[in-house]
Amino acid sequence: MPINLTVNGRPHALDIDPEMPLLWAIRDVLEMTGTKYGCGIAQCGACTVLVEGTAIRSCVTPVSAVDGREVTTIEGLHPENRHALQQAWIEEQVPQCGYCQSGQILAAAALLTAIPKPTDEDIDTAMVGNLCRCGTYPRIRAAIKRAAGTGV
Amino acid sequence: MTVALERRSMLRAAGALVLGFTVPLPARQAAAQARPPVQPPMTGGAGTLTAYLSIAPDGAITLFSPTTEMGQGTWTGHVAIVADELGADPTRIAVENPHPDAPYRRDVGAGPAMGSGGSWGVRYWYQPLREASARARAALVAVASERLGVPAGELRAEGHAVVHAASGRRLGFGELAAAAAQRPLPDSATLRPDAELKLIGRGLPRVDIPAKTHGGTIYSIDFRLPGMVYAYAKVSPVFRAELDSFDAASAKAVPGVLDVVAIPGGAAVVANSMWVAMRGGQALKITWKPTPHDAITSADITAAMKDGLAQPQGAVARNDGDIEAALRSAARVVEAEYEVPFLSHTPLEPWNINVRIQGDRLEIWAPTQNQDRLLNRVVRETGWDRDKIRLHTMLQGGGFGRRLYEDMPSAAVIVARAVGRPVKMFWTREDEIGQGWGRPAQMARFRAALDGQGKVTGLWVRTAGTSMNRDFNNFQGDLDASSVQTLNDTRYRTGAYRVDYVRRQAPVPTMPWRSVGATQNGFFMESFLDELAQAAGKDPVELRRELLAHDPRALRVVNTAAEKAGWGTPLPAGHARGFAFVESYGSLCAQVAEVSMVNGRPRVHRVVVALDCGKQVLPDGVRSQIEGGVVQGLSTALGEKLEIREGRVQNANFDGYQVLRTDEAPTQIEAHVIESGERMGGVGEPPIPPITPAVANAVSALVGKRIRKLPIMDALA
Repeated sequence: MPINLTVNGRPHALDIDPEMPLLWAIRDVLEMTGTKYGCGIAQCGACTVLVEGTAIRSCVTPVSAVDGREVTTIEGLHPENRHALQQAWIEEQVPQCGYCQSGQILAAAALLTAIPKPTDEDIDTAMVGNLCRCGTYPRIRAAIKRAAGTGV
Repeated sequence: MTVALERRSMLRAAGALVLGFTVPLPARQAAAQARPPVQPPMTGGAGTLTAYLSIAPDGAITLFSPTTEMGQGTWTGHVAIVADELGADPTRIAVENPHPDAPYRRDVGAGPAMGSGGSWGVRYWYQPLREASARARAALVAVASERLGVPAGELRAEGHAVVHAASGRRLGFGELAAAAAQRPLPDSATLRPDAELKLIGRGLPRVDIPAKTHGGTIYSIDFRLPGMVYAYAKVSPVFRAELDSFDAASAKAVPGVLDVVAIPGGAAVVANSMWVAMRGGQALKITWKPTPHDAITSADITAAMKDGLAQPQGAVARNDGDIEAALRSAARVVEAEYEVPFLSHTPLEPWNINVRIQGDRLEIWAPTQNQDRLLNRVVRETGWDRDKIRLHTMLQGGGFGRRLYEDMPSAAVIVARAVGRPVKMFWTREDEIGQGWGRPAQMARFRAALDGQGKVTGLWVRTAGTSMNRDFNNFQGDLDASSVQTLNDTRYRTGAYRVDYVRRQAPVPTMPWRSVGATQNGFFMESFLDELAQAAGKDPVELRRELLAHDPRALRVVNTAAEKAGWGTPLPAGHARGFAFVESYGSLCAQVAEVSMVNGRPRVHRVVVALDCGKQVLPDGVRSQIEGGVVQGLSTALGEKLEIREGRVQNANFDGYQVLRTDEAPTQIEAHVIESGERMGGVGEPPIPPITPAVANAVSALVGKRIRKLPIMDALA
């Protein structure tokens, strides 16, 4: 039985091991590499994707768990890569190495969907699962506030 | 520019050649061998002006940057330097990482090599890139002068063109480049005066950032080649153990596993995807030979370092005056011992490497910041003809020194040969942390002499622990410079002064970790100065001013941080400030951290940073490095350490290895950059060392107990 998955609006019928984590279905099978492997145990957030607007850690989510669901990766956040968060990320010059930033932006997108004007505490709660080894947290916070129209 | 970067990545990903105007490699290599780095070769190829620049007929410029872009922003720095000097539009410059070659090698004392480390990326290449750009500009102007029939002196290079203001005529760089490349470049050219510089010192947006906001950057781990297979390199969790045996069938039972290949230290499980290769690795039955350190623990390593501190003699790095006499005649002797643990770099992209063999040609795509070292190792271990190897440096998912080491490149070659297909070899997070290659654990003992007035008359610093350079550079001497780094050349004047070191090697592999020995020694020295101030009844900043009274440059940095932070002014109840000053990599950095205790953990509210790096190219890039350095340094202060038991790392993933998260990051990091006009210093590393002691000093004041051990949470336990 194939796994039916819609990724960034495109339906796929994948004939793969249902235990394969969504991360690896996206990376190895669909060959979309914006979603990153960082830890494999849902501790770093580099693999964050949206399932119908909610941020999940794709590295621990079996692909069977999202059968029939709609997944958004960083490549599909905005058709021209100009989501308010993506623009804010550029304006605040957030990324350094950039490896965690797909996950950071998607976690922030889920936050703004749920709470359009987040407080610092809201940001802490939503973003605490996303590690940045380069230490861009202050700029991430500023960019979220810029996109939300609450800061800068 | 973004587009150019991404298109290039896609071209690379497709295995295609890069843009057509690039000169054929052998010509460039041959020319490059003949001259030193500061005299870039004239290659004679179409549009190629110096080894660093190529201009296509449409005006698109490719900048061959000798540095590895790991997020520190040196590519953007180089674009600013080149665009300013050339008179080019920075948005029409794309950056490439060239294959190692003479013009891309730097020599900072250990012989020429291509690599990025020591915070050299901008300060080393600033002058060579300006000179190369000025020579290229002169060549473009010379061609325009002939075509327009006007003297070169009436022409200006600006806005990506050579312009004759009097007649309003202009010729684009793209129209001139091919002809300019046909003639010898001038040996030298006058650099633009500062007044004409528009980007240097002002900055421009980072060239690599847009792609990083939409998953467009191809990191090494993302790179694919047609027919590629994926090899998980299974190696011993016990440090340095040799392979005993493995049962290939146990891994091949996992569907999708294609092969299991013996490699030095273990076995590579080869599969049709990374996930299957990891699963095969989990299923693989494999054993390693016993080692002498199979049972070693962190406590054993600490005991060995303590023994090092207790030795009567060490390898002497500095011995001014008679420290023993100073201690004997002191009105008061202050003593303290400190300890820091092994740290992991944990770049978020785990180690991986891609190789392809085609006949006698070997191509490598790697996340390396040490290109010649990686190539040298492949040549040494495989015997491959160096001229038949092509190294592609990938953008990196974090470096922090980690990419200076080259893990198992030859093993990847072995696997590619065995399976006859292109290979991506990789590690999991657990391997990335568990294999070590971290910052060494180290201890220090301080003994200071105070006279009756509380003046410091002598200081003896003993450090002990693993010699990082023995692991990383096969250093065989007694005095590893990294173990006394920043102590041996401190600006503080303490009267008699001795610094020595006793090596106590642990089995944990070590290598440079962002700011290297300055991380531990900055913590040691700056913590002890606070203890000394307390013993002498002095304000901590006042003591430092006394010890730096002869040094106006250092005083300015110390005073700037203290004044901007409001040192000495009242704070909310339960808050305290801590101060530290550390010079490293050519820059002076002082920091004040304002801290309170929240639920038993230090909470850093505000960090004020003063950095004298001489001169800055990208002000926002400097701020970015300061912020990142403060956060990463704070991470080590609070929670990071490798826990060693049974000869291995016990906390080899982010559930145990505690990297700082956003809820504990300071929301206020204020950077005050001092452009003293002194020789340009580094920026990537110097912001790291002061934060740890600044926070530890504040916490010590808050809890009434000296923090002498990191991470702070261990010291508080």
